[in-house]
Amino acid sequence: MAPNKKMLLRGDINRIYDDEYRAEQNAKKEKLFIRRPRQRKMKNAKWFDVGMGIDLPFCVIIFVLLTVGTIMMFSASYAFAYYTQDDSYYYLIRQLIFIGLGVAAMAVMSLFNYNKLHQVAPVVLIIAYAALLLVLLLPSGDGGVKRWIPLGMFNIQPSEIAKFAVILFFAHWCSKYYNKMQLPKFSVLPGAAVFGSIALLLFLEPHYSGIVIIGMLTVLMLYIGGMKTKYLAVGGILLIGLVLVLAVTGGLTYAMSRMDGWGQSLEYTTEEMWQTTWQTRNSLYAIGSGGLWGLGLGQSRQKYLYLPEPQNDFIFAIVVEELGLIGAAIILLIFALLVWRGITLSLRAKDKFGKLLGIGLTSQIGIQVVLNILVITDWLPNTGISLPFFSYGGSSLIMLLAQMGIVLSISRTANIERQ
Amino acid sequence: MAVNEKKPTPKPKKKHVEKGPNQRLRQRAAVLIIIILVIGFGAVLTRLACLTLIDGSKLQERAVGQQLRDTTLTAKRGTIYDAKGTVLAESASVWQVVMAPINFENDEQREACAKGLSDILKLDYKNVLEKTKQESYYVVVKRKIEVEQRDKVIKLQEELTKEYKCGNVITLLDDYKRYYPHDSLASCVIGFTGADEQGLEGVEYKYDSYLSGKPGRIITAINARGANMPFQYEQNVESEDGNNIYLTIDKNIQSICEKYMAEGIVNNNVLNRGVCIAMDVNTGAVLAMVTANGYNLNDPYTLPAETMEKIKELPQKEQATAESEALSAMWRNKAVADTYMPGSVFKMCTASMALEEGKITDSSSFFCGGAVTFGKDVIHCHDTGGHGSQSFVQAICNSCNPAFVQIGQLVGAEKFRDYYAGFGFAEKSGIDLPGEAEDTFWPEGQMSEVDFAVASFGQNFQITPVSMITACAAVANGGYVLQPYVVQKITDNKGNVIKNVEKKVKRQVISKETSDKMNEILGYNTETAGATAGYIAGYKVAGKTGTSEKIGVKKKLSTFDEDYIASFCGYAPADDPQIAMLVFFDTPSGGAYYGSQVSSPVFINIMSEVLPYLEVKTSYNKDELAYLDTPAGDYTGMSVADAQAAVEKDGFTATVYGMGNKVVSQIPPVSANLVSGGSIVLYTDEETKNNTKVTVPDFTGNSVVEANGLASSYGLNVSFKGAVSSGGTCSAQDVKEGTEVPAGTVVTLTFSAASSGGFND
Repeated sequence: MAPNKKMLLRGDINRIYDDEYRAEQNAKKEKLFIRRPRQRKMKNAKWFDVGMGIDLPFCVIIFVLLTVGTIMMFSASYAFAYYTQDDSYYYLIRQLIFIGLGVAAMAVMSLFNYNKLHQVAPVVLIIAYAALLLVLLLPSGDGGVKRWIPLGMFNIQPSEIAKFAVILFFAHWCSKYYNKMQLPKFSVLPGAAVFGSIALLLFLEPHYSGIVIIGMLTVLMLYIGGMKTKYLAVGGILLIGLVLVLAVTGGLTYAMSRMDGWGQSLEYTTEEMWQTTWQTRNSLYAIGSGGLWGLGLGQSRQKYLYLPEPQNDFIFAIVVEELGLIGAAIILLIFALLVWRGITLSLRAKDKFGKLLGIGLTSQIGIQVVLNILVITDWLPNTGISLPFFSYGGSSLIMLLAQMGIVLSISRTANIERQ
Repeated sequence: MAVNEKKPTPKPKKKHVEKGPNQRLRQRAAVLIIIILVIGFGAVLTRLACLTLIDGSKLQERAVGQQLRDTTLTAKRGTIYDAKGTVLAESASVWQVVMAPINFENDEQREACAKGLSDILKLDYKNVLEKTKQESYYVVVKRKIEVEQRDKVIKLQEELTKEYKCGNVITLLDDYKRYYPHDSLASCVIGFTGADEQGLEGVEYKYDSYLSGKPGRIITAINARGANMPFQYEQNVESEDGNNIYLTIDKNIQSICEKYMAEGIVNNNVLNRGVCIAMDVNTGAVLAMVTANGYNLNDPYTLPAETMEKIKELPQKEQATAESEALSAMWRNKAVADTYMPGSVFKMCTASMALEEGKITDSSSFFCGGAVTFGKDVIHCHDTGGHGSQSFVQAICNSCNPAFVQIGQLVGAEKFRDYYAGFGFAEKSGIDLPGEAEDTFWPEGQMSEVDFAVASFGQNFQITPVSMITACAAVANGGYVLQPYVVQKITDNKGNVIKNVEKKVKRQVISKETSDKMNEILGYNTETAGATAGYIAGYKVAGKTGTSEKIGVKKKLSTFDEDYIASFCGYAPADDPQIAMLVFFDTPSGGAYYGSQVSSPVFINIMSEVLPYLEVKTSYNKDELAYLDTPAGDYTGMSVADAQAAVEKDGFTATVYGMGNKVVSQIPPVSANLVSGGSIVLYTDEETKNNTKVTVPDFTGNSVVEANGLASSYGLNVSFKGAVSSGGTCSAQDVKEGTEVPAGTVVTLTFSAASSGGFND
């Protein structure tokens, strides 16, 4: 075996470790929190490991999206910034600062040995819980919702941390108990516990789109983590049932008030409703105005205060208005490439943890893109889901880039070209 | 080896176990990619394609609808002039105060702004405050404010900017306001405009398309706050000012007519207004059109005080309806939009027909026994004793109804109907004023014998006053039925003539000979009947009085047994007709109701002023010459004897004051007009001139002869004006009673025809 082992490349070593570990485990029989040899190794591993180098295509896609996103963010925001902040560059300058910090974070994370995150995973989850609890104790912001923790220049959304924490935790959990994931107590139970508790906290904020995304991420992670499909189906049915019960009991008052205008933003019913659906309506006007080829970069009219906060969640409406369906399709294609590349490179990661974490982090972007655009096109109720790389926002952008850094770090162990 | 050979079977099994989880992960990752990229992104792309390609144009239209602001640049409305170029209606620049309350940041700003605006514009504070709370970019606070108020608003803007930083909320927009410099003058012709400068009545309404001009537009792209987008997105279409209109109405004639019509209304307690139309008989141009009393065009929504009082007596519920009814009645142009029964005035038409048809000769004679009987119906003559046997001319002068029944029968019902249409009664006159009414006449085959008999003298059918004056003009001008008009010329704002209205002859209804004959007969009528038939010294006037019963009125208004319309229709000069005029009063309720009593004096008074104004040639007879003015000559510098001789030679008597040898000054001064035979006072020194003062007496109420005597007894001279020889009395004097003036001063006396005396219709 030894000569063979030498011939094997780094990526296969883990597999061998897994096999050896399994054999050892079989020999020793059950013992719940046993240290795997690999884990021991990881503990001794360097915190930073350059490895084989990052996946260049994935990195390029990130920078392309970041560039296009920033240009479009500036185009969408300068009128709004001019009228509200007396400075057309207000959002651009800040976004560039965030990008600087974010890219730095991404670089650091890409050098960081992601296996160290194994140990951090439960801690991150605890931090997420703490943040979710903290935000509930702070005074409420606009419209009586408690979503942000103000931190000077940044506002941190605990739900952003929670999303990452859920992905990280389940990547850790599922890779740890990959063989037991068939059992409900290793899959359904932690899934329900983590999602249920986070959902409850988000419900109190309230932040329904956060619940939806956390729910989707939990299901996604458990699914790729190896949970039996039938539990997924049962869980899905239960989730739908829960939402229905809440809706019937009126617990979704805030969301309902937003959902009231869902799908009927173009028809005038009452003045109140007309105001409620203002943003969605003007988003549709912007998209419709774009047509096939768009009005041209910088030529959007809807950004002149018609579409409130065009630099945030509804930025893509302005993108479509200016670049048209063609431009939107190209941007969607780049996003698709990102998701594709992210998932495929993650599949070639040297260990389960890397695979699950990489797939989780890239899928999250895909999910957010889809949900965001469905919201601005009025196929989903208007809730706060930002568009990755495009929407203005300090903490979320930095977190996003840091997460991309992790995926890049994972790519260092996955010699994707080899296959 | 055996062991090794045995192993292959479990080996794949082990491999399966080993590869299983990875396989599953790959499969599940593939499922995930399908869900996200194919289903998710696919749905997104489909939705975007639907919105951009299918709903795109609709959505874009709505987006553009909110992004573009179409600012209308108000065009200046054209000016309305009278025939001589006097301005009758004009638009002046005013301003509109507009607010964008969405730009307010706090209540303090709102209150300060509302307080300032309500103070300046005299509006209710609470009302304005309410407006400042609207979430809007465009709220009109007040329209049509004048310069002083505008200046105050500008000051307020500065203050608000300084103290509250919200000066950008108020905007002043250009606007125009219609002014009518002569208030109620020709109100029924000119009409007025509404809040948006749109014509609502009269010429303002009829010629709105000419007057209003083309409003300009500025199309700009705006942001959601209403401010302009920094786009090269602006389209300007300049406004085009409206065209100017020149009326045929002469302001001077119009005001003369209105003055006497108002007087007539008061003197005769006329309950249902009066009409006066003056027309150029040769062109059909309306020189004056009065619906008395008119209304103030600058304030058309205010009813006269008496009417308001009557309305306030009504129950609360009916007040609003009553008020709007009263308003529309006030605005109604009675001369065009209402019909009336012409009565005896129509006899000029019946007579013309009979002459034209050759049914009458000079020897024709008509007998009047006081009444004519048609079965059960009896038609009375106003002279119940009967006029006996009379010639055609006498029949007209007597205005004898039975005689005209006979004349009508000579013409025949069919011919009568043809002529009725020929004179233009059966059709609209086509005058360029809105709301012309149609006549009411018996339909063909439904006119009974009695109906026809009554129609012969103008009873029981209804025509508009304007068609009556048109027919009268046709009788006078050689038989030409003209289309009456009030607008003679339209020019653009640079003065180029766009439209010139020419005389339009519809047809010739009677021959020149018949017309001449009618002029002669009607002229004779006024000459013999005097004041009652419109006689005016120095002019040959032709005319006919009329008194028609108002048949079929719902509620009798006047104090008489029946309601009447008293009218007079005539023209002058009879030998060369130039101006025709119809005067009628609807429902007089004073001392008299006959046209000869009520309308003739008004006609005479108007004509006495209008004919000299029109410079119609005078032709005086001997009696009239006695009252004619002669200019005084220059006698100063002459010796007393020479001067006296010169004075007498000029037809005056001389009175000398002072001890000097030469005439130093004279009263009246050179070329002052005074009645021939008046006395010229010659002064030989200045001192006596200053000492010989006389006090002016009250001449009003005196006849011409009395006034003349009174003047000479006071040592004054008089000059006569107005209806001097038609039995009128003095109604005004230019030097007030009790004024001290030098002896010989000329006092101009204005005579008016009295509204009393005999009547013969």
